[in-house]
Amino acid sequence: MDEREVMGVIESILFVAGDPISAKEIGQILEMDVRNVRKLMKKMIDCFHFERRGLQIVMANDTYQLATRPEYSNYIEKYIGQDRAQSLSQASLETLAIVAYRQPVTKADVESVRGVKCDYIINMLVNRGLIQEVARMNTPGRPILYGTTDLFLRSFGLTSLNELPPLEAE
Amino acid sequence: MSYVVKLDQFEGPLDLLLHLISKAKVKIEDVSITEITEQYLEMLHLMEKFDIEIASEFLVMAATLLHIKSCILVPRVKPELEEDDEADPKQELITRLLEYKKYKEAASRLKEREAYFSGMYYKLPEEIVTKDTEDVLTLDTSIALLQDALCKLLQTRPGSRVRTPLIHEIKRDPITVNEKVNYLKDYFTRNSRISFFGIFEDIHDREEIIVTFLALLELLSNNFIEVKQDIPFGDIVMKRRVSNG
Repeated sequence: MDEREVMGVIESILFVAGDPISAKEIGQILEMDVRNVRKLMKKMIDCFHFERRGLQIVMANDTYQLATRPEYSNYIEKYIGQDRAQSLSQASLETLAIVAYRQPVTKADVESVRGVKCDYIINMLVNRGLIQEVARMNTPGRPILYGTTDLFLRSFGLTSLNELPPLEAE
Repeated sequence: MSYVVKLDQFEGPLDLLLHLISKAKVKIEDVSITEITEQYLEMLHLMEKFDIEIASEFLVMAATLLHIKSCILVPRVKPELEEDDEADPKQELITRLLEYKKYKEAASRLKEREAYFSGMYYKLPEEIVTKDTEDVLTLDTSIALLQDALCKLLQTRPGSRVRTPLIHEIKRDPITVNEKVNYLKDYFTRNSRISFFGIFEDIHDREEIIVTFLALLELLSNNFIEVKQDIPFGDIVMKRRVSNG
């Protein structure tokens, strides 16, 4: 197989998978080194962008997934005949921001920064799959430590946490 | 003439304070606690007037502000002690406000990103029927085989009838609970330890199973026997309770 064919195979696997799949998985299927997979994926991502394809490959935390290009969303919504689902509230975004920048973080930490109770919002963010329990703190009560998920990265167009826009002070 | 005042929804006391500070057009560091406290309390009164429920967090902040204000007004009695005791409450509040503001700004940047990237649509995984997900049926299955299987199944339950008669005959209970109780009393006297499962092993009649079970409950409630189960779902060992006299 030449490179174009390998890329074709990966594209078709991504289509069938629907869900994100890891570089490791792709490497196992194609009997390729993970590093080469990553290199090839980068090339594919660039290629999809360059050709302004309707689909793009979304990378988040070493996983890859097919998605439509956000630039074309207006037309998709016209087709669906519906506006997009309601976005997150200000309170949820604040909470999410605190978890994203400070993770791993306990609910108490989030509450002390925001100055209000956050039980409901944290549960909602967990249910929406944007944050998750990552560990337990080794203090009395063993409080849950929260962190963001891969879905969070994809939802905000980030490939890794390093891409979070810097927190600006004043 | 009535008019409507639109109050912004504040995400908490810190949010409200930030709003007041930005309205006063001063830097957070240079804020005058005296002025801001007044405005803050005014705002709470306004909220009360408009029947907006004030969360307890807002009241805690009001108390904090008043505390800071009083600290500023009242000269310190023991200044050197104060320093060790606790950090300057005003400085503490300013640090909190600055910290909160950072995340509030980060949240608005996230909001922009979300608005853009929520325009991506994903696809559900393909639903693929594989050999594993197919029902386990061999190709040479026939009606005869199924019938065979059914008959075998019915035969394994002795006493069960293939056909239910349309007319039911109401019979007297072959054994009454009382009879069974007496029988079991005798049985428990002769045998020291009896397995719960074992007692039902030889009983195939449904009514008799029920009667036996009821009889056992009866004996248990009369303190005639005691039962013990070592592991959950394990066998229950029953034995006659040794009477104390």
